[in-house]
Parts: sequence; C-alpha cells; structure tokens
Amino acid sequence: MGTVRDPADGEVVDQVVVTTFPAPHSFTGEDVAEISAHGNPVVLGRVLGVLLRGGARAAEAGEFARRAFLNGKLDLLGVEAMAQVLAAATPGQARVAANQLEGLPTRRLSAIRARLLDHHVRLEATLNFPEDAIEEIDERRLARDLAGVLGDLERFAAAARHGGLVAGGLPVVLLGRPNTGKSSLLNALLGRERAIVTEIPGTTRDTLEETLTVGDLPVKLIDTAGLRAAADRVEALGMARTRAALDGAFLALPVYDGAEPLGADDREVARVVREAGVALVSVVNKADLPRRAAVEELGPGPVVRVSALTGEGVPDLLAAIRAEAGRRGLERLEELVLLGAQQSEALERARQAVRRALDGLGSIYHDMLSVELEEAIRQLGLVTGEDVDPHTLDRIFERFCIGK
Amino acid sequence: MTSHFPVIVVGAGHAGCEAALAAARLGVETLLLTMNLSTVALMPCNPSIGGPGKGHLVREIGAMGGEMAACIDHTCVQLKWLNTSKGPAVRSRRAQADKRAYRQRMTATLFDTPRLTVRQGQVTRVRAAGGRVTGVELETGISFSCDRLVIATGTYLNGRIIIGPRSWPGGPHNQRAALGLAESLGELGVPWRRLQTATPPRVRRGSVGFAATRELPGDPEAGGFLWEHRARRLAGQESCWLTFTGERTIETVRRHLPFSPLVLANITNVGPKHCPSIDRKVLNFPGQFRHQIFIEPEGRGSAEMYLQGLTTSMPPASQLEVVRSVPGLEEAEIVRYGYAIEYDALAPGAMRKTMESRVVAGLFTAGQVNGTSGYEEAAAQGLVAGINAVRSLRGEPPWVPSRTESYLGVLVDDLSTWDHPEPYRMTPAQAEFRLHLREDSAEARLAAAGRALGLVPEARHEAIADWLGRIAGEIRRLDGLRVSPSGRLLERLSVAGSGGLKKQVAVGEILQRPAIGYRDLPGLLTEEGEGGPFSLGLTAPDEIAYLETEIRYRGYAAREAERRAETKRLEEVRLPLVLPPERARALSEATRELLSSSRFEDLGQAVRKHCLSRAELAILWAVIGDGQTAAGDGEE
Repeated sequence: MGTVRDPADGEVVDQVVVTTFPAPHSFTGEDVAEISAHGNPVVLGRVLGVLLRGGARAAEAGEFARRAFLNGKLDLLGVEAMAQVLAAATPGQARVAANQLEGLPTRRLSAIRARLLDHHVRLEATLNFPEDAIEEIDERRLARDLAGVLGDLERFAAAARHGGLVAGGLPVVLLGRPNTGKSSLLNALLGRERAIVTEIPGTTRDTLEETLTVGDLPVKLIDTAGLRAAADRVEALGMARTRAALDGAFLALPVYDGAEPLGADDREVARVVREAGVALVSVVNKADLPRRAAVEELGPGPVVRVSALTGEGVPDLLAAIRAEAGRRGLERLEELVLLGAQQSEALERARQAVRRALDGLGSIYHDMLSVELEEAIRQLGLVTGEDVDPHTLDRIFERFCIGK
Repeated sequence: MTSHFPVIVVGAGHAGCEAALAAARLGVETLLLTMNLSTVALMPCNPSIGGPGKGHLVREIGAMGGEMAACIDHTCVQLKWLNTSKGPAVRSRRAQADKRAYRQRMTATLFDTPRLTVRQGQVTRVRAAGGRVTGVELETGISFSCDRLVIATGTYLNGRIIIGPRSWPGGPHNQRAALGLAESLGELGVPWRRLQTATPPRVRRGSVGFAATRELPGDPEAGGFLWEHRARRLAGQESCWLTFTGERTIETVRRHLPFSPLVLANITNVGPKHCPSIDRKVLNFPGQFRHQIFIEPEGRGSAEMYLQGLTTSMPPASQLEVVRSVPGLEEAEIVRYGYAIEYDALAPGAMRKTMESRVVAGLFTAGQVNGTSGYEEAAAQGLVAGINAVRSLRGEPPWVPSRTESYLGVLVDDLSTWDHPEPYRMTPAQAEFRLHLREDSAEARLAAAGRALGLVPEARHEAIADWLGRIAGEIRRLDGLRVSPSGRLLERLSVAGSGGLKKQVAVGEILQRPAIGYRDLPGLLTEEGEGGPFSLGLTAPDEIAYLETEIRYRGYAAREAERRAETKRLEEVRLPLVLPPERARALSEATRELLSSSRFEDLGQAVRKHCLSRAELAILWAVIGDGQTAAGDGEE
C-alpha cells in the first residue's frame, strides 16, 4: 500500500497497491513492479502522467512477450501461443494455445532436431578429421533415420496446418445454385439475421463470413454467390470467389432445393465441389416442403435434410460438421500446433532440406549432405528459438577421441 | 646506435616470415629480427603442412602471393589428397615436409628479398611514446626505431619446458625462452594469458620395426598448394607408416599417469583440444584402446621419425615404456623426448581483425602468440599483419578479408573474438560457407585482392585470370547450348534419375547430375547435334575438374548465397554504432550497451557470439533502417 504524489506540487494523486516481482520470478524474467490504482480513468491517467514525467515510457505492442522471450522465459512457440491466448475466442482455441505455452510442441520439435544434430556431428567428425579413426557413416542407417525425421516433420506440419485452421476458424463454405436458400441457412445456423434474404435469385454477390462455435471449435461460415452459367459480370466474379473459397475450405456444404427436381446448375455445383477435392456434406433444404430432389444421384457423401425456415435438421447439420472435425483429428486439441507465418516457412524449409538430403543420399557428397542437415537444424531452431548450439567442433571433441 | 625501419618484425617463424616478406614486397624497408638465424621457419612439432581447413589456408596464402605455399611445394617429401570421397568442399592437400629443406629455402628467400633486412638478436623491450610503438631494444644493447611493429614470437614468450615433474625456462627444441618482452608489452597495457602445447617423442628410424606397420605412400598426382603446381606430378615421395595402440599401451599409460604433468598439475591445463596427449586421451576416453599412431619422417632420408598420436610430457622412463608398448616400436630408441611447453599468449580481445593491437597503436601481433596453433594459421596471420602494417603506415584503409570469402577471413574474425580457453585451430567446421570457400576456388576468390594489394605480380595475375576466364566461358557456353534429349542421352538421364526429361535442356543442366561428367558429353550428344557434333572446349584435367565442381555446386551455392549476403551485411555494420537517442529507445538496454561498446568490431561478431538474438536483431534492423548503416553496401 502506498500513496502516489505528483512530484511537481506534492499533491496526493491516489492510494495504490504495489506488487513487486523480483527477477527472474516475473513473466519477463526482469524486475517487475505492478501498480494497482483505483479504476477511475481520470485517476489512472494522472498516475500514468506522473510515471511518464518521471522517465517511464509506455510498453510497445508485444514488448512484454518479447522481453520474456529474450530472457528465456518463453520459447518462440510460446510467444506465438501467447498471442493466440490473447486472441482466443473459443474454449478450443484457448486450450490449444495454453497447451503450447506449456512447451509441448517445442519439446516435440526439439527431439526431432536433436536427432538431426546427432547425425550432423557424426558427419562433421568424418569431414573435419579424415585421418582420425572415426567410424564411417552408415548410409543405410542414415537413410532410415532421415525418412523417420521427414515423416515426423510432415506430421508436425500437418498439426500446424490443423492448428492454423482452429486458430482462424474452420472455413466451411455454403454453395449452391441461386435461390436454394443458402443465406437463410446461414441465418438459421447463426440463429440470427445476417444475410439479406430475398425472393430474387442471386441476391448474394459477395462472399459473407460469419463465425460460430461448434462444440469447442470455431467455425467460419462462408456464404457464397449462387453458381450457374454466368448471367452477368458481377455474378461471374462471385463465382470466381466461390471457387477461391473452396480452395482453402475445411468443408463444403452444397445446398440443394429439396422441393425442386435437380437441374443442370445443381449438377454443376456438385461438379465444382468434386473438382475442388474438398470434404462435403450435401444439404437438402426446404425439408418443410414435399421432397422432389434425388440428391443421392449427385455422388457419395453424407446428406442432411434441413429446413432453414423451421430450423428442422439444423442440429443434425451441426453434428455433421463436428463429426468431420472429429474424423480429421481436429478435436484432439492437445496434438495441434500454432505457428506464425515465419515459423511455418522455416518448418517447410527444414522439411525440404531433409527431403533433399534423403533424396541425395548415395549420389551427393557428404559435404553437401552435411550442409543440408545443417540447414534443417538451423531452420528448426528458428521455429523453436533454439538457435544457439555448442559449436560443431565442441560437439565433435565431446564425442570422439580426435587428435594427432 | 639506433637505426630506423618503418616496419620491424620480431620472430622468424611461420608468421614472422610471411609478415616480413609481405611488408618488404609491398615496398617498405623491413627488419626481421630472430633469436636464432639457424632456426628460421622451424617446425618444432609435426612435419606436415595442410589438411582440411589448414590446407585451405595454405592455398589462399599462395593465391594472395604469400610464401608458405611455394616453400612447402618445393621442399615436401610427400603430398596427398585427403577427403577425396567426401566432396570438394572438404577436400584438401596435405604435405609431409622436409623440415631442414623448408628452413633453408625460407631463409634463402628472406635474404634474397629486396628491402628486407634479416638480423639475429633477442628483443627484450618495446619502446613506446604516447601509446604508440617507437622501437625495440635488444639484449645486446642494440636498438632500432620503427613506425610499425609486428610481434610474431610463437611459443617463446616466458616459455617453460615441462617433462614429468621437471621444468625449466626454454623455447621449443631446446632453444632459449624469450624473457622480458612480454613484461615490456604488459607495461604498455597488453594483456596476457598462459597456454600450453606439447609434442611427441622422436625415435631413430633404424629402430622402428616397419614390418608390423602399414605403409602409407604419397600420391604423385596431388599437385601442389601453389596455383602453378596444381597439376604437377611429384615422383620419388617418401612414405609414412601407420600402427595402432592396443590394450597394452593404454594400460602402460594408465600406470604412468601419476607422473604425467596433467595429473601432477605442474602445468596450465589449457592445451589444444585437437591434439590431446596420449595421457589426455586415456583420461577422457578410458574405454578406447585403439588409437592411431602415424610414424612420419622429419625429412628426406631423415634418421628421426615423428610419432603422431603419442604426444606426451611424461618423464623419460615413462615415455620409453609407453612408446615400446606400441606394435612396431618395441625396440624403438627415443632420440628426442616429448615435452610440453607453457607460454604467454595474448588474452582474448586484445587484437583486431587487422591483427593490430586494441591497446597499443602501431603494434601488430601474429601467430601462436595470438593463441592459435599450427604453422598454417600462423603464416596466414603473418600475411594479414604484414599487409596491414604497411597499409596503416601509408594511411590506407586496412585489408580485412571477409569470412564470406575466405578462410583467412574466418580466421581473423574468429581470432578477434576467440575467448575459448584453448588454442584455436582451423578446420572446415569453422567456415559456415565452405561450399564457396573450396580449396579449388582460392584463386577465384582471392587473386584479384592479391593483385590489388600489390602482392601478386601482373603476369601471374593475368595467367590466373586467363585460366578462370576459360572455365567461366565454357560454363557460359554449356548453359547457352540447349538440346532435346534423345537416344543415349535420354537413356543416361533416366538412369541418373531425377526425372527431369524436359523437351529442351541446357547442357550445363545435364552436368548438374552427379552421374554425368564433362568428358561424357561428346559421346552422349551425338544425336542432338545442331550445327555439327558437340566438342569439348576444355581439355586440361584441372580445368575440367573445376568446371564440374562449379556446375555441380550451383544449386547449393545459390542457397548459400542468401546467407552469405546476410553475413556480409552484418559484417559491414561496424561497431561501435552511434544511433540517435530517439531511435535507440526501441532497443533493450543490453543491445544499446552492446552497440556503444567496442567489445565487437561489427554486428556479425555480436550475432555469432550470441550477444544479439535474432529477435533483437530484427528490431535493430528496423531501427537502423533506411540505409543508416555506417559502412558502404554492395561490392561482393
């Protein structure tokens, strides 16, 4: 407990509580003091003013996380997770991020990296000390191990892709020929009016995005313009957007009008989904009207009958979305990883280097092989933040009896 | 009596010889002082020069117009290629020296060099005024004044010889220790530390049972270190021999360990990691019984044989028992016992990349006194020190080789920040851009610099430029020549895998496949010929080998180039760096402190020594931003 006084006139500004966290037992690892003042914005502003005039400055965005990282309190994946924790909107997102803050993905990747380091030091020992009696590299064993590493990296990359899906919301694309009720379905799924619904076919010309929570997972619903042989340029543009949306989609929901027989446009919709290679759940809308569409003839995949008007079948559709997430392992949140753009790129570069090493084994010289392993090790270090290894020579001397 | 020389070099070992020759060849009257004119360019330890990393340095010294490459080429008794199967980046030559012939040739070169004065005499004091060297005093009472001083005193400063429990002041090979000089420099503020190194016993050739060993002959086709000798054939080489320790030797060493200076602790513990004594090997790897012992001649027909791998400074009786426990050496007679030597070396951080002292102006240091080991590392530093002594004398900017362009650059950069407790040795592992810093590319990387500095004569530079131009021209021709693979070529391409059976392919691209060589091309391109059959533009084997390596490494070189550019960019930001306070505010206090201190010479060093994390660096780049860096950019 203490009193903040303005040094200029000695006037009392506020009664405050000061908590100190001596280094290294603070979030950043540095000496930290927290001042808790009364919530009144005017008072808070005056306290801040006193501090700033005394030489303090406001923290920059992310500065505390940066300091925590620099002081070794948080690894790089932790920093990424920190940002995600702050941004998490669903319980699932928060759990993935919290898991990563614990450092589990870092440990997984570090273990992969350690295997590469082991092979690298063996290679380097033979390259640097050709006249010492060091066991030659067993290329068959190396090939086996590199194949294992490559598989692990690919699984890690998949977990990161899934993590990215969860962090951004699973993109689920609503599509269909005009006037099948896609926008009404969107509103029904959201439980509120979002899309403009009219009797006039082709009202939705842009893609609309809305987020809802299914289970613990965020789902990003994307409503698209109706698909058909383009009637005008604006619609043609909308169709291009639909195809683009399908490109990164987690799931496609082709919507058909159950009260009408299937037409050429519906078959076009089915074809577009098939060509995009996206998982799908076919939705037969207008279940409140007599059924006249035979959706089964459009190909395989689950079919759900709904009525956007009455809400009938909507829970079934949500269950189908959730089932797809389960099938793809997205509900095993503990296995997901969150990566920033630079980290994803580094991971991919590491994967490519291991791939090149594996492909080159037997035909490329060991000096190049070693360069590839080094590249993979360095790139993985960029992901985990462990770019400070003992010098190669020190690692060699530790393991091998070198010397004239 | 005082006479003046613009440059004085103290010590005529491998560093001193290169420094003195470089200074004199650059046109400056130079005095080289040595304690003993009979031991110029002495090799007190192993009788060999070269190997991975070290051989790269010798090639670069040769490309720059230094002397070591020429001297060893002319006096070696054996030459070998090492690492031939491991790839061009780590491939290197290694020569067995004739120690006496090497000394004699180097001595003659020194005396024959215009503007170089060679004198015997021990320097006991350095004179300075206002923090700048002004001259030296000898123990004879003679003194010389100078503008620049290069100290290249090897392991002689306050040298102490240790054998078992005994020790006495001395230099290598029963020479005298240099007393007084270290203290004199110390008074000027030069900081010292103690290092040690050791050498194995030598045995009489006639006492070795060679039948129990394996003969290792030389390779007549290994050429030489000098560009002019790249395709030289060397007949009449001497052999080395290989034997192995077994359980008996290890048991013997273990029994005698209590008499080892390592255990007696009458020696500093800081020796070279890369050539541990047999005592150290047994201590550190107790489970390993088999260690290689190379038996090497000290010269042509030399009666003395060097026992590489049996370094020890145990008492004589212990040494004899250990030596005789090795197969082939059961009746060996030791003619010189192994010993350890402890000496003063510069403390970390006392020198710059230019080899100039951070403490005393006009003072340069080179060689083992800087805390390195090895003749090659010493010679390389001598060359850089000699060059920069002259350049600073003339008010010219220093020549600082970049670690992105040469092992010389790696060496001076590493040394100026070397804070490990043991001596520094060059290996390919020190060079992060080793695919670029290949042994065969030394001239491509350095000959122009050597010419610009004035060490490479015009005629030689032209010959090298012609050679490089011929190869580069042929590469351009192959890249411009596009063919549609058919017949035999198509077959070979599919056997060579990697699928790429494009309709049209450049001939240069075909050579990137490891299974296809340059000489295969005429036979493969029989059916593709547009405008006549394909003919080879190059015929010399060395040119073809260089072309093939260049083409095969292109993909790797391109990936490496990105990182090389980044390293170069970091190297070019010289420290200390002054930033406007409003910009510096975004940086952490530690970074601000780092930038304003002179602990490192450039940003690259700070990053390499892990004093600046990638995260901090990213912020720093943003802060430096818009071309505020001190040094110029561009100029690869």
